[in-house]
Amino acid sequence: MINIYRWLIGTCLLLLAACNHNQPVKDSSLALMKTTNPSPIMTNQKKDSDGVEEIRKEVSSLPEIYDVAVVKGKQDTLVVYKVKHLHRFKMKKIEKQVNKMLEAKHPKENFTVSSDYKIFLESVRLNEHIKSSKFSQQKAENRFKEIVKMTEDLK
Amino acid sequence: MASKQKNMTPQQQNYQTLQQKHELKRPVLKNCIKAFFVGGLICMIGQAVSYFYIYFFNFTEQSVGNPTVATMVFFSMILTGFGVYDRLGQFAGAGSAVPVTGFGNAVISAAIEHRTEGFVLGVGGNMFKLAGSVILFGVFSAFVVALIKTLLVMWGVL
Amino acid sequence: MLKGHQSWVFENRPMITATGVTGGPFEANGRLANDFDLLYEDLWMGKESYEKAHRLLLEDAIKVTLQKGNIQKEQVQFLFAGDLINQITPTSFAARTMQIPYFGLFGACSTSMEGLALSSFVVNYQGAKYVLTGASSHNAAVEKQFRYPTEYGGQKPPTAQWTITGAGIALVEPNDPEKENPVTTSATIGKVIDMGLTDPFNMGGAMAPAAADTIIAHFRDMQLEPSYYDLIVTGDLGRVGHDTAFELLNKSGLNLERKQFQDCGLLMYKEDQPVQAGGSGAGCSATVLYGHLLNEMKKGTYKRMLVVATGALLSPLSFQQNESIPCIAHAVAIEMNGEKG
Repeated sequence: MINIYRWLIGTCLLLLAACNHNQPVKDSSLALMKTTNPSPIMTNQKKDSDGVEEIRKEVSSLPEIYDVAVVKGKQDTLVVYKVKHLHRFKMKKIEKQVNKMLEAKHPKENFTVSSDYKIFLESVRLNEHIKSSKFSQQKAENRFKEIVKMTEDLK
Repeated sequence: MASKQKNMTPQQQNYQTLQQKHELKRPVLKNCIKAFFVGGLICMIGQAVSYFYIYFFNFTEQSVGNPTVATMVFFSMILTGFGVYDRLGQFAGAGSAVPVTGFGNAVISAAIEHRTEGFVLGVGGNMFKLAGSVILFGVFSAFVVALIKTLLVMWGVL
Repeated sequence: MLKGHQSWVFENRPMITATGVTGGPFEANGRLANDFDLLYEDLWMGKESYEKAHRLLLEDAIKVTLQKGNIQKEQVQFLFAGDLINQITPTSFAARTMQIPYFGLFGACSTSMEGLALSSFVVNYQGAKYVLTGASSHNAAVEKQFRYPTEYGGQKPPTAQWTITGAGIALVEPNDPEKENPVTTSATIGKVIDMGLTDPFNMGGAMAPAAADTIIAHFRDMQLEPSYYDLIVTGDLGRVGHDTAFELLNKSGLNLERKQFQDCGLLMYKEDQPVQAGGSGAGCSATVLYGHLLNEMKKGTYKRMLVVATGALLSPLSFQQNESIPCIAHAVAIEMNGEKG
């Protein structure tokens, strides 16, 4: 019996230790555990980003949703959000609602909506890369397309 | 139980009431609490594993289930092999039996047990001795649920 | 000689001259570790299967007995033994190794006393000069057959019992008045009792009425009072069955004292060992009697005792088919040589 306790405690310590490296923590490394609220971004940074900020605000206004990431590419706009825990049963309904709302307000845009953590995480990462100018515009656009493709695989 | 009791002689019934007095009771509440925490801990580890796959590999929330389950089963197989899991099972009861690790334990414990009878008739034939019914009824109930859903969609209810 | 309805009296007082007791790692940590002749460090005992380890336990117990009794195996006429495994193969295979004429017995956990009663009877009527008798069980081999795989993490209820790993063998020979040894004086053969219990994790509760029935029959046939014995010990009733049997006996009018009524399954292990309600298995009564209890008897702690081994006559098939658990108990009275009635 004592052995099991040792095992468990050991495992817990290991898990804790693994999380505890002394680097400045990037937003993306904790994106799944806390609210990040990344600023919306476009793969083409030269363009005006007012449109995306507006989308972010609209989506955030839904009561079931917290933490929204918006990335706009050449053609598509990716909207990723987290749903409050107690509302996760209604994920499908919320997705429909968001879709409808966005299409009604921005009929010209082509939206991809997702609530998947992985997509969210990748959006945050892409966001960081673009901001730190690690990615060229072309590269960012390619990565963006990859992420959008990933959401299509989900359906 | 009631129908069973009808078939018994009065002598048997008398004895059973007497015997029940001495029977050691399962500490149900204590077992439930233990099962809750150990089961929760196992699921927490599972959640950590799935986050690990989301962060470092190309899995989305929906596709991460498969590698996570495989990893958890692998963990429980190692623990079973080292002879730890059965003791954990005695301590935690349903807490360690209900998560997928319990399934892994059922498979590997039967495989280890019947290793002495050879690979084909021993391991192969007995590996799913305990887990086989889980698979059978799991697949069957999934089939029934899918059937109901299909019918409902066809009739336009959903 | 038959006395009463179902009891034998052994006028020639066959003598238990030597015993051999082997055990596994779990028993080595138990309360009676010092009373074992040979203890193994691990359940495999260097064999490739638990069944082979089971056989080894018995073979070693026989070898130790022969050595302590200072005779050759060729001198032994008969071996009365059994175990719990399908078709009692471990015992039969050990008999093949030993090349001793052999009676295979099955009485589940009551096999030890069934064997001792029969061998005492045979020796009493000059049917043999030397008879070996005993029983054995191996935790992993028995669990594999009756319950789940050893490593399966199922939770056992507190009424469950732990099958012991061990073998106990005794050498029975005609009485020698010169020697200070335990002798068998009488035996009562029990009938199968079924109280309709179906829970294989509560064997003690199922077996208790069989034990009580045999004990009551013994005192009725022998026309004795319970105070005649220093100790009445049951085989493997465990905590549940032991308490139940005690109440049954007292209700039937036999006045037993708590101290006088013990259980082998409860004697075997320490309090902190995870055995739930106590030890069980064919080897349980055999190892405790032929090891601990006879040693105590030689020391003088007990002068007369009645050993009642109980057996649950179920198979994995029968309880899966929802049959109840029929049980049996056999009793043998053991006294020190020279202690006349």
